[in-house]
Amino acid sequence: MAESDNESGGHTGNASGSNELSGCREQDRFLPIANVSRIMKKALPANAKISKEAKETVQECVSEFISFITGEASDKCQKEKRKTINGDDLLWAMTTLGFEDYVDPLKIYLHKYREMEGEKTAMMGRPHERDEGYGHGHGHATPMMTMMMGHQPQHQHQHQHQGHVYGSGSASSARTR
Amino acid sequence: MENNQQQGAQAQSGPYPGGAGGSAGAGAGAGAAPFQHLLQQQQQQLQMFWSYQRQEIEHVNDFKNHQLPLARIKKIMKADEDVRMISAEAPILFAKACELFILELTIRSWLHADENKRRTLQKNDIAAAITRTDIFDFLVDIVPRDEIKDDAALVGATASGVPYYYPPIGQPAGMMIGRPAVDPATGVYVQPPSQAWQSVWQSAAEDTPYGTGAQGNLDGQSMEF
Repeated sequence: MAESDNESGGHTGNASGSNELSGCREQDRFLPIANVSRIMKKALPANAKISKEAKETVQECVSEFISFITGEASDKCQKEKRKTINGDDLLWAMTTLGFEDYVDPLKIYLHKYREMEGEKTAMMGRPHERDEGYGHGHGHATPMMTMMMGHQPQHQHQHQHQGHVYGSGSASSARTR
Repeated sequence: MENNQQQGAQAQSGPYPGGAGGSAGAGAGAGAAPFQHLLQQQQQQLQMFWSYQRQEIEHVNDFKNHQLPLARIKKIMKADEDVRMISAEAPILFAKACELFILELTIRSWLHADENKRRTLQKNDIAAAITRTDIFDFLVDIVPRDEIKDDAALVGATASGVPYYYPPIGQPAGMMIGRPAVDPATGVYVQPPSQAWQSVWQSAAEDTPYGTGAQGNLDGQSMEF
Protein backbone atom coordinates (compact mmCIF):
# COMPACT_ATOMS: atom_id res chain seq x y z
CA MET A 1 0.00 0.00 0.00
CA ALA A 2 1.50 3.30 -1.09
CA GLU A 3 -0.28 5.52 1.36
CA SER A 4 1.37 8.92 1.54
CA ASP A 5 1.47 10.88 4.77
CA ASN A 6 1.66 14.54 3.87
CA GLU A 7 0.20 15.57 7.18
CA SER A 8 3.57 15.67 8.88
CA GLY A 9 3.60 18.29 11.56
CA GLY A 10 0.38 19.84 10.38
CA HIS A 11 -3.33 19.51 11.03
CA THR A 12 -3.15 18.56 14.64
CA GLY A 13 -5.20 21.59 15.56
CA ASN A 14 -8.29 19.64 16.51
CA ALA A 15 -6.65 18.68 19.78
CA SER A 16 -8.77 20.02 22.59
CA GLY A 17 -7.37 22.00 25.47
CA SER A 18 -5.80 25.40 25.68
CA ASN A 19 -2.21 26.00 24.77
CA GLU A 20 -0.53 26.43 28.14
CA LEU A 21 2.78 27.63 26.80
CA SER A 22 2.95 31.17 25.52
CA GLY A 23 4.83 31.24 22.23
CA CYS A 24 4.64 27.47 21.89
CA ARG A 25 3.31 26.41 18.53
CA GLU A 26 0.48 23.93 18.49
CA GLN A 27 2.43 21.39 16.48
CA ASP A 28 5.25 21.46 19.01
CA ARG A 29 3.02 19.78 21.57
CA PHE A 30 2.95 16.55 19.58
CA LEU A 31 5.40 14.34 17.80
CA PRO A 32 5.03 14.44 14.01
CA ILE A 33 2.05 12.41 12.87
CA ALA A 34 4.09 10.83 10.07
CA ASN A 35 6.58 9.36 12.52
CA VAL A 36 3.84 8.16 14.84
CA SER A 37 1.95 6.63 11.94
CA ARG A 38 5.04 4.83 10.65
CA ILE A 39 5.64 3.21 14.03
CA MET A 40 1.97 2.23 14.35
CA LYS A 41 2.12 0.42 11.02
CA LYS A 42 4.96 -1.75 12.30
CA ALA A 43 2.53 -3.18 14.86
CA LEU A 44 -0.20 -3.98 12.33
CA PRO A 45 -0.69 -6.47 9.52
CA ALA A 46 0.00 -5.22 6.02
CA ASN A 47 -3.64 -4.97 5.00
CA ALA A 48 -4.63 -2.96 8.06
CA LYS A 49 -5.52 0.70 7.75
CA ILE A 50 -5.35 3.45 10.35
CA SER A 51 -7.96 6.18 10.53
CA LYS A 52 -6.76 9.74 10.82
CA GLU A 53 -8.54 10.07 14.14
CA ALA A 54 -6.65 7.07 15.46
CA LYS A 55 -3.31 8.57 14.44
CA GLU A 56 -4.16 11.86 16.10
CA THR A 57 -5.32 10.12 19.25
CA VAL A 58 -2.05 8.21 19.53
CA GLN A 59 -0.17 11.48 18.97
CA GLU A 60 -1.91 12.92 22.01
CA CYS A 61 -1.31 9.74 24.00
CA VAL A 62 2.44 9.86 23.34
CA SER A 63 2.74 13.46 24.51
CA GLU A 64 0.79 12.53 27.61
CA PHE A 65 3.14 9.57 28.16
CA ILE A 66 6.19 11.84 27.94
CA SER A 67 4.68 14.37 30.35
CA PHE A 68 3.54 11.65 32.74
CA ILE A 69 6.97 10.01 33.02
CA THR A 70 8.83 13.33 33.00
CA GLY A 71 6.67 14.71 35.80
CA GLU A 72 7.43 11.73 38.03
CA ALA A 73 11.15 11.89 37.25
CA SER A 74 11.20 15.64 37.86
CA ASP A 75 9.56 15.22 41.26
CA LYS A 76 12.25 12.72 42.23
CA CYS A 77 15.03 15.07 41.13
CA GLN A 78 13.57 17.90 43.16
CA LYS A 79 13.35 15.77 46.28
CA GLU A 80 16.97 14.80 45.84
CA LYS A 81 17.97 18.41 45.16
CA ARG A 82 19.21 17.61 41.69
CA LYS A 83 18.56 19.80 38.68
CA THR A 84 19.19 17.51 35.74
CA ILE A 85 16.89 14.67 34.71
CA ASN A 86 18.87 11.73 33.37
CA GLY A 87 18.11 8.33 31.92
CA ASP A 88 18.05 6.52 35.24
CA ASP A 89 15.46 8.95 36.58
CA LEU A 90 13.23 8.14 33.63
CA LEU A 91 13.68 4.40 34.16
CA TRP A 92 12.84 4.80 37.85
CA ALA A 93 9.73 6.79 36.97
CA MET A 94 8.59 4.13 34.50
CA THR A 95 8.98 1.43 37.13
CA THR A 96 7.05 3.49 39.66
CA LEU A 97 4.24 4.16 37.20
CA GLY A 98 3.81 0.53 36.21
CA PHE A 99 5.80 0.32 32.98
CA GLU A 100 8.04 -2.48 34.17
CA ASP A 101 7.98 -4.21 30.81
CA TYR A 102 9.62 -1.18 29.25
CA VAL A 103 12.48 -0.96 31.72
CA ASP A 104 14.41 -4.12 30.80
CA PRO A 105 14.81 -3.32 27.09
CA LEU A 106 15.44 0.33 27.85
CA LYS A 107 18.16 -0.50 30.37
CA ILE A 108 19.97 -2.41 27.66
CA TYR A 109 19.46 0.48 25.27
CA LEU A 110 20.75 3.07 27.74
CA HIS A 111 23.74 0.92 28.64
CA LYS A 112 24.70 0.56 24.99
CA TYR A 113 24.28 4.28 24.42
CA ARG A 114 26.51 5.14 27.37
CA GLU A 115 29.14 2.69 26.16
CA MET A 116 29.13 4.36 22.77
CA GLU A 117 29.26 7.82 24.31
CA GLY A 118 32.14 6.74 26.50
CA GLU A 119 34.10 5.70 23.43
CA LYS A 120 33.25 8.97 21.71
CA THR A 121 34.33 11.01 24.70
CA ALA A 122 37.62 9.16 24.91
CA MET A 123 38.31 9.71 21.23
CA MET A 124 37.21 13.32 20.96
CA GLY A 125 38.40 14.51 24.33
CA ARG A 126 35.66 17.12 24.30
CA PRO A 127 32.73 15.82 26.38
CA HIS A 128 31.45 19.33 27.12
CA GLU A 129 30.85 19.97 23.46
CA ARG A 130 28.15 17.32 23.22
CA ASP A 131 26.55 18.19 26.53
CA GLU A 132 26.06 21.77 25.41
CA GLY A 133 23.53 20.54 22.92
CA TYR A 134 20.96 19.94 25.64
CA GLY A 135 19.53 21.94 28.48
CA HIS A 136 21.38 25.05 29.52
CA GLY A 137 25.02 25.46 28.65
CA HIS A 138 24.72 27.36 31.84
CA GLY A 139 27.78 25.81 33.41
CA HIS A 140 25.82 24.43 36.31
CA ALA A 141 25.98 20.89 35.05
CA THR A 142 29.49 20.28 33.87
CA PRO A 143 30.20 17.01 32.05
CA MET A 144 31.91 15.78 35.19
CA MET A 145 28.88 16.54 37.33
CA THR A 146 26.61 14.88 34.79
CA MET A 147 28.71 11.75 34.81
CA MET A 148 28.85 11.66 38.59
CA MET A 149 25.13 12.15 38.93
CA GLY A 150 24.63 9.55 36.26
CA HIS A 151 26.16 6.96 38.57
CA GLN A 152 24.36 7.70 41.81
CA PRO A 153 20.80 7.17 40.56
CA GLN A 154 21.94 3.93 39.02
CA HIS A 155 22.74 2.56 42.45
CA GLN A 156 19.48 3.86 43.80
CA HIS A 157 17.64 2.29 40.92
CA GLN A 158 19.26 -1.06 41.63
CA HIS A 159 18.30 -0.64 45.27
CA GLN A 160 14.70 -0.11 44.26
CA HIS A 161 14.24 -3.59 42.91
CA GLN A 162 11.17 -3.37 40.73
CA GLY A 163 8.45 -3.12 43.31
CA HIS A 164 5.08 -3.79 41.80
CA VAL A 165 3.68 -0.42 42.65
CA TYR A 166 1.07 0.61 40.16
CA GLY A 167 0.88 4.32 40.49
CA SER A 168 -2.85 4.74 40.75
CA GLY A 169 -2.12 7.53 43.22
CA SER A 170 0.29 9.11 40.79
CA ALA A 171 -2.17 8.55 38.01
CA SER A 172 -4.83 10.37 39.98
CA SER A 173 -2.54 13.28 40.69
CA ALA A 174 -1.49 13.30 37.06
CA ARG A 175 -5.11 13.41 36.01
CA THR A 176 -5.84 16.26 38.38
CA ARG A 177 -2.81 18.10 37.07
CA MET B 1 9.98 -12.85 31.20
CA GLU B 2 8.87 -12.60 34.81
CA ASN B 3 7.49 -9.16 34.16
CA ASN B 4 5.68 -10.43 31.14
CA GLN B 5 4.18 -13.24 33.16
CA GLN B 6 3.09 -10.85 35.87
CA GLN B 7 1.70 -8.46 33.31
CA GLY B 8 -0.20 -11.33 31.77
CA ALA B 9 -1.33 -12.53 35.17
CA GLN B 10 -2.60 -9.09 36.00
CA ALA B 11 -4.46 -8.86 32.74
CA GLN B 12 -6.00 -12.19 33.58
CA SER B 13 -7.04 -11.33 37.12
CA GLY B 14 -9.11 -8.40 35.91
CA PRO B 15 -11.80 -10.24 33.97
CA TYR B 16 -11.95 -13.20 36.34
CA PRO B 17 -14.83 -11.86 38.48
CA GLY B 18 -16.67 -11.05 35.28
CA GLY B 19 -15.82 -14.43 33.86
CA ALA B 20 -17.21 -16.14 36.94
CA GLY B 21 -20.29 -13.95 36.80
CA GLY B 22 -20.72 -14.77 33.16
CA SER B 23 -20.51 -18.47 33.82
CA ALA B 24 -22.95 -18.24 36.70
CA GLY B 25 -25.35 -16.09 34.72
CA ALA B 26 -25.25 -18.07 31.51
CA GLY B 27 -24.93 -21.41 33.21
CA ALA B 28 -22.78 -22.55 30.33
CA GLY B 29 -19.36 -23.90 31.27
CA ALA B 30 -18.52 -24.24 27.60
CA GLY B 31 -19.12 -20.54 27.14
CA ALA B 32 -16.01 -19.74 29.18
CA ALA B 33 -13.65 -21.60 26.87
CA PRO B 34 -13.56 -19.14 23.94
CA PHE B 35 -13.08 -16.20 26.30
CA GLN B 36 -10.18 -17.86 28.07
CA HIS B 37 -8.71 -18.81 24.74
CA LEU B 38 -8.96 -15.24 23.51
CA LEU B 39 -7.19 -13.93 26.59
CA GLN B 40 -4.41 -16.47 26.19
CA GLN B 41 -3.99 -15.51 22.55
CA GLN B 42 -3.71 -11.85 23.41
CA GLN B 43 -1.25 -12.45 26.23
CA GLN B 44 0.91 -14.62 23.99
CA GLN B 45 0.99 -11.91 21.36
CA LEU B 46 2.06 -9.28 23.85
CA GLN B 47 4.69 -11.57 25.36
CA MET B 48 6.09 -12.21 21.91
CA PHE B 49 6.16 -8.48 21.34
CA TRP B 50 8.26 -7.87 24.45
CA SER B 51 10.61 -10.77 23.72
CA TYR B 52 11.11 -9.43 20.23
CA GLN B 53 11.84 -5.94 21.52
CA ARG B 54 14.53 -7.23 23.86
CA GLN B 55 16.20 -9.09 21.03
CA GLU B 56 16.04 -6.13 18.70
CA ILE B 57 17.52 -3.74 21.25
CA GLU B 58 20.35 -6.19 21.91
CA HIS B 59 21.48 -5.60 18.34
CA VAL B 60 21.06 -1.85 18.17
CA ASN B 61 24.22 0.04 17.27
CA ASP B 62 22.94 3.30 15.81
CA PHE B 63 21.84 6.07 18.17
CA LYS B 64 21.68 8.81 15.59
CA ASN B 65 18.77 7.75 13.43
CA HIS B 66 15.74 7.85 15.67
CA GLN B 67 12.18 7.09 14.79
CA LEU B 68 11.19 10.26 16.62
CA PRO B 69 12.72 13.75 16.64
CA LEU B 70 14.71 14.43 19.81
CA ALA B 71 14.14 18.17 19.75
CA ARG B 72 10.39 17.71 19.83
CA ILE B 73 10.61 15.22 22.68
CA LYS B 74 12.70 17.70 24.61
CA LYS B 75 10.15 20.46 24.03
CA ILE B 76 7.36 18.27 25.35
CA MET B 77 9.46 17.41 28.41
CA LYS B 78 10.17 21.08 29.07
CA ALA B 79 6.51 22.04 28.81
CA ASP B 80 6.48 21.21 32.51
CA GLU B 81 7.75 24.34 34.26
CA ASP B 82 9.33 22.28 37.03
CA VAL B 83 11.63 20.59 34.55
CA ARG B 84 14.85 22.54 34.41
CA MET B 85 17.70 20.62 32.87
CA ILE B 86 17.66 17.47 30.80
CA SER B 87 20.71 15.31 30.19
CA ALA B 88 21.57 14.36 26.62
CA GLU B 89 20.59 10.74 27.18
CA ALA B 90 17.04 11.52 28.33
CA PRO B 91 15.44 12.38 24.96
CA ILE B 92 17.33 9.50 23.35
CA LEU B 93 15.95 7.09 25.92
CA PHE B 94 12.48 8.59 25.47
CA ALA B 95 12.68 8.14 21.71
CA LYS B 96 12.93 4.40 22.26
CA ALA B 97 10.43 4.39 25.14
CA CYS B 98 7.84 6.22 23.03
CA GLU B 99 8.37 3.77 20.21
CA LEU B 100 7.63 0.89 22.59
CA PHE B 101 4.61 2.77 23.91
CA ILE B 102 3.19 3.40 20.44
CA LEU B 103 3.75 -0.22 19.46
CA GLU B 104 2.09 -1.62 22.59
CA LEU B 105 -0.87 0.76 22.39
CA THR B 106 -1.33 -0.03 18.70
CA ILE B 107 -1.16 -3.79 19.21
CA ARG B 108 -3.70 -3.64 22.03
CA SER B 109 -5.93 -1.41 19.92
CA TRP B 110 -5.69 -3.74 16.95
CA LEU B 111 -6.79 -6.66 19.11
CA HIS B 112 -10.04 -4.78 19.63
CA ALA B 113 -10.51 -3.97 15.95
CA ASP B 114 -9.81 -7.60 15.17
CA GLU B 115 -12.45 -8.75 17.64
CA ASN B 116 -14.94 -6.63 15.73
CA LYS B 117 -13.71 -7.93 12.38
CA ARG B 118 -12.58 -4.54 11.13
CA ARG B 119 -9.45 -3.82 9.10
CA THR B 120 -9.28 -0.10 9.92
CA LEU B 121 -7.97 0.97 13.30
CA GLN B 122 -10.31 3.57 14.77
CA LYS B 123 -10.34 5.91 17.70
CA ASN B 124 -12.67 3.70 19.71
CA ASP B 125 -10.20 0.83 19.36
CA ILE B 126 -7.62 2.99 21.10
CA ALA B 127 -10.20 3.95 23.70
CA ALA B 128 -10.87 0.27 24.32
CA ALA B 129 -7.17 -0.49 24.73
CA ILE B 130 -6.87 2.37 27.21
CA THR B 131 -9.79 1.23 29.32
CA ARG B 132 -8.61 -2.38 29.32
CA THR B 133 -5.04 -1.66 30.38
CA ASP B 134 -4.15 -0.51 33.90
CA ILE B 135 -0.93 1.27 33.01
CA PHE B 136 -2.81 3.37 30.45
CA ASP B 137 -5.06 4.80 33.15
CA PHE B 138 -3.38 8.19 32.83
CA LEU B 139 -4.74 8.42 29.27
CA VAL B 140 -8.40 8.09 30.21
CA ASP B 141 -9.03 11.83 29.88
CA ILE B 142 -7.70 11.87 26.32
CA VAL B 143 -10.50 9.77 24.89
CA PRO B 144 -13.95 11.31 25.30
CA ARG B 145 -16.55 9.32 27.19
CA ASP B 146 -18.77 8.90 24.16
CA GLU B 147 -15.96 6.93 22.53
CA ILE B 148 -15.91 4.68 25.56
CA LYS B 149 -19.69 4.46 25.66
CA ASP B 150 -19.73 3.48 22.00
CA ASP B 151 -17.31 0.76 22.87
CA ALA B 152 -19.43 -0.21 25.86
CA ALA B 153 -22.45 -0.40 23.58
CA LEU B 154 -20.57 -2.78 21.33
CA VAL B 155 -20.21 -5.19 24.20
CA GLY B 156 -23.75 -4.61 25.40
CA ALA B 157 -22.70 -2.92 28.60
CA THR B 158 -24.25 0.11 30.23
CA ALA B 159 -21.36 1.78 31.95
CA SER B 160 -21.36 5.06 33.83
CA GLY B 161 -17.91 6.52 34.14
CA VAL B 162 -14.88 4.63 32.94
CA PRO B 163 -14.90 0.84 33.19
CA TYR B 164 -11.46 -0.72 33.50
CA TYR B 165 -12.45 -4.25 32.82
CA TYR B 166 -15.55 -5.60 31.22
CA PRO B 167 -18.16 -6.62 32.18
CA PRO B 168 -19.58 -3.72 34.21
CA ILE B 169 -20.95 -4.16 37.70
CA GLY B 170 -24.36 -5.76 37.88
CA GLN B 171 -24.20 -7.20 34.40
CA PRO B 172 -23.71 -10.95 34.11
CA ALA B 173 -22.83 -10.67 30.43
CA GLY B 174 -19.14 -11.28 31.02
CA MET B 175 -18.76 -13.33 27.90
CA MET B 176 -19.52 -10.49 25.53
CA ILE B 177 -15.90 -9.49 25.07
CA GLY B 178 -14.86 -12.83 23.70
CA ARG B 179 -17.79 -13.43 21.41
CA PRO B 180 -16.96 -11.20 18.44
CA ALA B 181 -13.68 -13.02 17.98
CA VAL B 182 -15.29 -16.44 17.90
CA ASP B 183 -16.72 -17.73 14.65
CA PRO B 184 -20.44 -18.35 15.33
CA ALA B 185 -20.55 -21.37 13.07
CA THR B 186 -17.71 -23.36 14.56
CA GLY B 187 -17.14 -21.60 17.87
CA VAL B 188 -13.41 -21.65 17.19
CA TYR B 189 -11.23 -18.58 17.61
CA VAL B 190 -10.26 -17.20 14.23
CA GLN B 191 -6.53 -17.85 13.84
CA PRO B 192 -5.46 -16.23 10.55
CA PRO B 193 -5.81 -12.55 11.58
CA SER B 194 -3.51 -12.98 14.56
CA GLN B 195 -0.96 -14.78 12.44
CA ALA B 196 -1.11 -12.02 9.85
CA TRP B 197 0.45 -9.35 12.01
CA GLN B 198 3.00 -11.74 13.45
CA SER B 199 4.47 -11.94 9.96
CA VAL B 200 4.51 -8.14 9.93
CA TRP B 201 7.15 -8.21 12.64
CA GLN B 202 9.39 -10.27 10.42
CA SER B 203 8.88 -7.77 7.61
CA ALA B 204 9.52 -4.93 10.03
CA ALA B 205 12.70 -6.67 11.15
CA GLU B 206 13.84 -6.91 7.56
CA ASP B 207 13.22 -3.19 7.17
CA THR B 208 15.28 -2.27 10.21
CA PRO B 209 18.76 -0.88 9.53
CA TYR B 210 20.35 -3.55 11.70
CA GLY B 211 20.75 -5.88 8.75
CA THR B 212 22.38 -9.20 9.51
CA GLY B 213 21.60 -9.13 13.21
CA ALA B 214 17.92 -8.60 12.58
CA GLN B 215 17.85 -11.41 10.07
CA GLY B 216 19.47 -13.63 12.66
CA ASN B 217 16.60 -12.68 14.93
CA LEU B 218 14.21 -13.61 12.18
CA ASP B 219 15.57 -17.11 12.03
CA GLY B 220 15.23 -17.43 15.76
CA GLN B 221 11.68 -16.15 15.60
CA SER B 222 10.67 -18.47 12.80
CA MET B 223 12.07 -21.43 14.67
CA GLU B 224 10.01 -20.42 17.66
CA PHE B 225 6.89 -20.56 15.51
